Amino acid sequence: MTTRPSLFDPDSARAVFIGRLLLAVSVLLLWQFGAGHLFDIFFFGKPSLIAVSIFTDIRDPGFYRDLGVTGMEFGMGYVIGGFTGIASGVLLARWKYLAKLADPFLLALNSIPRIALAPMLIVWFGIGMSSKVFLSATLVFFIMFFNTLSGIRSVSPALCSVAKIQGATQWQIFTKIMLPSASSWIFTGLKMSLPFALVGVIIGEFMVSSVGLGYRLNAYATAYNTSAALGMIMIMMIIMMLLTWGANALDARLMGWRDGGGDGAAAALKA
Amino acid sequence: MTSTIAAATAGASTASPSTPGSPAADYLVLNNIAKTFVARGNATTALSATNLTIGQGQFVTLVGPSGCGKSTLLNLVAGLIEPTEGTITLGGAPVRGTDRRIGYVTQADNLLPWRTLRDNVAFPLELAGVPVAERRERAEFWMHRVGLSGFGDAYPSELSGGMRQRGNIIRTLIYGPPVILMDEPFGPLDAQTRIVLQDLLLSIWEESRSTVLFVTHDLSEAISLADQVVLMGTKPGRVIRCEEVGIERPRDIFQIHEHPVYRRLYKQIWNDLGAQVRKAVE
Repeated sequence: MTTRPSLFDPDSARAVFIGRLLLAVSVLLLWQFGAGHLFDIFFFGKPSLIAVSIFTDIRDPGFYRDLGVTGMEFGMGYVIGGFTGIASGVLLARWKYLAKLADPFLLALNSIPRIALAPMLIVWFGIGMSSKVFLSATLVFFIMFFNTLSGIRSVSPALCSVAKIQGATQWQIFTKIMLPSASSWIFTGLKMSLPFALVGVIIGEFMVSSVGLGYRLNAYATAYNTSAALGMIMIMMIIMMLLTWGANALDARLMGWRDGGGDGAAAALKA
Repeated sequence: MTSTIAAATAGASTASPSTPGSPAADYLVLNNIAKTFVARGNATTALSATNLTIGQGQFVTLVGPSGCGKSTLLNLVAGLIEPTEGTITLGGAPVRGTDRRIGYVTQADNLLPWRTLRDNVAFPLELAGVPVAERRERAEFWMHRVGLSGFGDAYPSELSGGMRQRGNIIRTLIYGPPVILMDEPFGPLDAQTRIVLQDLLLSIWEESRSTVLFVTHDLSEAISLADQVVLMGTKPGRVIRCEEVGIERPRDIFQIHEHPVYRRLYKQIWNDLGAQVRKAVE
């Protein structure tokens, strides 16, 4: 079998890398030199201006204050939402009566478009951090709650039976079979919640804030400073990418047992 | 239709069952056991009045077509389901719910996917509070015994079906329950692996002489392994008859098909089994 050094070979890491590089560079160049000629800078910004804006922001101590505040709100919202979501999921998985009781109410609460709550946030929490933390936490809560609940409910009853026969107590079945079995779902939920937690904070900052990255972005946009606003968006994008990358790395380490030896597609056919 | 079977004890002991220390002829007794399942308003009789007496240290195989109630029977003995009628006793005492004296090797390997092979095998010891070092040592011993040395750190998803099933089997053997139920443990495996594992199973069993109740649809496997073959029928699920396998031990699984007793038994049971299989697919 001859190996064709093709420029478009999807299996060649090198070809893909070069392709990606070319794509990025051409888009950037088109953007940079098209700005002002092919399209309006007012609407689309210009890479050079965006870069300048980012550098200005980075050297502004106010930026770090904003970054810190947003970061804290994000962290607290994520942790509070995650913790309560998982705890509720575990509780309701364990006690069926509670679950039946709460079911329609939770469905109703989850159906509230989160943004609709935003105007009430000032009334309930004032303009401090708690309103953003709350918004963020509610988004995370429901994801974690439903994922935890589904995860525990999806535990294979055969595994529980086998453990029971081997003398496991109810508690042992819960901690050694049900929770680890649900961990896959829970971890997926934790990964999914990251962007939602950030979105909650940012939107909260749009609506009711005087500090934070969202506030900053909003300030630039309302002042029609397109490049600066796009700069902020890129910074948020980078933060999100770093978080996702970290989460995926953790996933690979902790959940390696899921996939087995590399031959995924073919292996799935075998018993 | 009921049939009462008194299973003779295998092996050398000729002492009466009441003598302490000797293997009891009525160690595991199923007394008039029946099970009916009700689903969506329909009642299915999985097992109709069944009597079975199994002596201690016996290797008994249950063979029959699908729907003959053999898995139901196993689940009843394991205590996973309650009989609609009848009682089950072990060593004289009734069996209620799951019992650590009764081990169960399921047809699917049911290994915990998030644990390594070693941690899976050691699981029952962990449940019992056996210290870590001892758990690992015993797990290593059993893995070595069935040819799985070196795979202790692998996850089930990284192992072949045969390896996983071996892991499943030693997971039960490791805590040495006196009664071991096996539900077609070699079912999903290829023919060659199956024969090798049957041979391995017998050699391990010879050492411990636990009481084994082994379900299979394969008549040749049933005769090769057992002291007693219990033939089960379908519609309704029940025991039809029991045949003693008078072939001396230790047996050569690879050559046993040549044995005259084997061939005679096979012919004898095959006709009845065939009739039941045909009945099952009607």
